[in-house]
Amino acid sequence: MNILRQIAIIFSICLAGEAVSQLLPFPFPSAISAMLIMLAALASGILKVDHIKQKSDFLLSNMAFFFIPAGVGVMRYFDTVAPIWLPLLVIIIATTVIVFLTTALVVSLVLRLERGEAE
Amino acid sequence: MEAVCSTPFFGITISIVAYTIGTWVHRKTRLAILNPLLISYLIIIPSLLLLDIPLEWYEEGGQIISLFLSPATAVLAISVYQQRQLIRKHLAAVIAGSLAASAVSMLSVWLMCRLFALDDALTSSLLPKSVTTPMAIAVSDSLGGIESITVIAVILTGICGSILGPVLIRIFRIRNEIAQGMAFGAASHAVGTSRAVEMGEIQGALSSVSLVASGIMTVLLSLLLV
Repeated sequence: MNILRQIAIIFSICLAGEAVSQLLPFPFPSAISAMLIMLAALASGILKVDHIKQKSDFLLSNMAFFFIPAGVGVMRYFDTVAPIWLPLLVIIIATTVIVFLTTALVVSLVLRLERGEAE
Repeated sequence: MEAVCSTPFFGITISIVAYTIGTWVHRKTRLAILNPLLISYLIIIPSLLLLDIPLEWYEEGGQIISLFLSPATAVLAISVYQQRQLIRKHLAAVIAGSLAASAVSMLSVWLMCRLFALDDALTSSLLPKSVTTPMAIAVSDSLGGIESITVIAVILTGICGSILGPVLIRIFRIRNEIAQGMAFGAASHAVGTSRAVEMGEIQGALSSVSLVASGIMTVLLSLLLV
């Protein structure tokens, strides 16, 4: 499909996501609303992956690029980060290890339980 | 100088140039620590400082790039949709794994922030650090965190997971491919997923499902904290 039309489809889903998040009584990220709307559209067959193939490939394969400006903004907080960089690094490394191991453990346990039931 | 560098073209161009160099270095060296994003920051931030260019000028173009964060999150729905059979088959493991991951992630971050006596704004900035950037930004914003600190924490977490993941798998003998994939996605989002993809198809698929599932769980859990 024409690239302009693909952009229009994806952007209108984002627009719908903004609207849904506005209507919800609690703060809910509009990007996630948009993702759930797109999932519903795909699951119901209204939207086909082919309809947005090129544009979504572009977005998914360059995902990291779009995060650049948000990270550069850390310049504004040099004074906040400078005195605590070591604790920050320790927290980041320690919690990543904890989350990685917990997830692997829980998933292995659930799979083992399921296998036990099946036998 | 201002007339030229304060146009959106400046921010967009320097971002693309830095990212292109970052991807090239990463591909040549294959070192997880030389992450394309990290290299981009190490190019852009010192350049702005050296040339004495205010952040506001850069952000004229930066805002246009950031606009694409929301569509990029939305199209993650496609990866989930394409893996729907695998998800249906292992639904219990996916739900239990991502729920445990987000709860343990937020709890361990919170405890460690208390331990180091970090203030509330910093704690809120770090709480969603395990999930993919657009979701983390959304959570951090709603909790009163500082967006840029969240972004840096998320990226460092991703790099950390893709370096340590394979080591942890070896030390703790995590043999199940589904468990490996789920762990990468839950602990280190999209950056970890790119490492999981290298390990195998099942690991890659489960990792992309896991990054979305634990992202949503984190968003839902954070609603309880607001």
